[in-house]
Amino acid sequence: MKKLFAVLCVLLALSFSLFAQGTKEAGKSALRVGMVTDAGTIDDKSFNQGTWEGIVRAQKDFNLDVKYLKPQGTTEADYLKEIGNLVDAGYTMIICPGFKFETALFEAQDKYPNTKFVILDGEPHSADYSVFRIEKNVVGLYWAEHQSGFLAGLAAALQIKDGDFGFIGGMEIPAVQKFNWGFQQGVRYANANYKTNIRMDQVNNLYQGTFDNISAGQQIAAAMYDRGVDVIFAAAGGVGVGVINEAKNRGSSGQKVWVIGVDVDQYAEGLMPNGKSIILTSAMKYLDRASYDMIVDELNGRFPGGEILHLDATNDGVGIPVENPNLDKSVMDEVAKVFAKLKSGEVKVADKGDGLFK
Amino acid sequence: MSKIRRKESLGSNTFLMAVSAVILGLVAGAILMAMIGSNPFSGFSYLFRGGLMNIERIGNTMATATTLMLVGLSVAFAFKTGLFNIGASGQMLVGGLCATIVAHKVFLPRPLFLVVLIGSGLLGGAIWGVIPGILKARFNVHEVVATIMMNWIAYWSVYYFVPAYLKGPSLETESASIAITQSLRAPWLTKLFHGSYMNLGFFIAIVCVILVKFILDKTTLGFGLKAVGFNRHCAEYAGIRVNRNVVISMMIAGALAGLAGLTFYTGYSRNMQIGVLPSQGFDGIAVALLGASNPIGVFFSSLFFGILQSGKGFMNAMTSVPPEIADTIIATIIYFTATSVLFGRIWESIFKRRRKSAKEEQ
Repeated sequence: MKKLFAVLCVLLALSFSLFAQGTKEAGKSALRVGMVTDAGTIDDKSFNQGTWEGIVRAQKDFNLDVKYLKPQGTTEADYLKEIGNLVDAGYTMIICPGFKFETALFEAQDKYPNTKFVILDGEPHSADYSVFRIEKNVVGLYWAEHQSGFLAGLAAALQIKDGDFGFIGGMEIPAVQKFNWGFQQGVRYANANYKTNIRMDQVNNLYQGTFDNISAGQQIAAAMYDRGVDVIFAAAGGVGVGVINEAKNRGSSGQKVWVIGVDVDQYAEGLMPNGKSIILTSAMKYLDRASYDMIVDELNGRFPGGEILHLDATNDGVGIPVENPNLDKSVMDEVAKVFAKLKSGEVKVADKGDGLFK
Repeated sequence: MSKIRRKESLGSNTFLMAVSAVILGLVAGAILMAMIGSNPFSGFSYLFRGGLMNIERIGNTMATATTLMLVGLSVAFAFKTGLFNIGASGQMLVGGLCATIVAHKVFLPRPLFLVVLIGSGLLGGAIWGVIPGILKARFNVHEVVATIMMNWIAYWSVYYFVPAYLKGPSLETESASIAITQSLRAPWLTKLFHGSYMNLGFFIAIVCVILVKFILDKTTLGFGLKAVGFNRHCAEYAGIRVNRNVVISMMIAGALAGLAGLTFYTGYSRNMQIGVLPSQGFDGIAVALLGASNPIGVFFSSLFFGILQSGKGFMNAMTSVPPEIADTIIATIIYFTATSVLFGRIWESIFKRRRKSAKEEQ
């Protein structure tokens, strides 16, 4: 009992000394950047993580005070609560990754007029979509997912040349749909202009309905691979993790299957025991660049408050990863050429599903 | 001898058990915080300030506690009849679904509307609770299995009904937001608590605490229910209709959880999301255990958990305690409260041994 007491005392003393350090560090910079996570964890290899990486990069470059909070649930009330916590704790800039924050920010922008907000993939509006209003303290960001999916589909088609492609989406929401439609257009573009022979089918094109059902993702992927699909594009958050797991299992036992990652470079996610990755390439939204740039703008006093920004090929907001160990050099070169055409407007990708699989 | 008797009564004192469990849980949390290099005192002070710092936060704490209180009452009520209602989540979902439907489709003068709204939540939960009750009474299907299955039926029913009939303008995965006038929120309450989520549900919960206390302590029905809980066979022998009591108990427990769903989905969040089994249904078990299945105990323990739940975000924001650790701390506290029954037994056995040795000495 005495020993335990002694241990506790030491621990306490230790913690006091650490706390003392902590208070010294507190006043290092005026800008304090907070983030509230969307559904899923901070290391979701997707939206949360991509956004957070940009914030952490800014923290290193500019010696900022940063913090993320994970809400209890994903309702507007939960989000508002965490935003309130960050504001009360003195954070002056809050980055919210995901369209689900739209209604929460609609209220928060008036409630906390002195706090700067950035919303990724959305803009503030009232719950019934009757009022869209963005105040001077909010920036809304949108990405051209269809361009990103287009480039990934093109790259994969050029690499595989002959095979079957499938798509697994999470929830059937605009961002995911645009990935799907762009992906199909990319494959078609390759078939038309590069004589590749990639087949797609409605059966291998579906939405699971959630972003977190890992086992369902695994099952759907298994069924698709059994039907002879070679490459699955998984734009599905946690469901995609299940897809990657299934592909890794098959890849480890010698089967030739691939996955195309989404949102961030998922190459490291697909690493197998033999050191190779199952991830062919990833359809990226450069989330980290966006959150980093927003922080830089705020530091320089150029925060584009009240604006809605569209990030696409013209401002390097989307694309496939810079490094793709599973893609040939020639494929990368061709994709770069088409990317330039996207930039110049010579090649256009529709953000609608007309004439495409659902 | 008198000294021993006093100790013995300490061992069976549920209030003391609960407090010791909370203290142990907090100490364990403090050690955890110290281990990751945070100051436990500042950590806990921020945790409690986060829950109680200003009027708005007190309101949020009360709103969080409201749901926990009703779920806790539901679980506690079933406990009293010797039943383990692990299906509060499902009952919450069905109660919430019924209430959400009413909130969207029924338009009546406010007082009448509130009665219909509350009645719908109550009824939905009661139906979801009574089915496992009947299965238990008629076919001796264990209520734990039945209620867990009912959870998933509710989960997938919501998955179907919300997108099919209640979805918002664009989002497939959640119901349209309920208008303030059709919800449990009241402008005067929101104003009183500086824009918090405080809603009329809190008063429903208070009424339920009093009602449950009254039913259990002052009515024949309550006596019968408790008798079944103490000893099924003995109660049967005494002429109490056990099966009927099992069904009634599950029905009331379900109704209480349904009300919890009502307060959560039409008061706190104002919309329903698919693919979410509300965690409050399980937190309620801890609330009931900490409250020793006593309505008054449930009242206080739900407020305690409400403070923890709504205060942890502020703790995360103010300290280097990462959110995951905050959840671990809460889980630790729940763990200790869940095992508080065990503490009681341990204390008791220690006292018994002492008494034995004391007797031998004499």
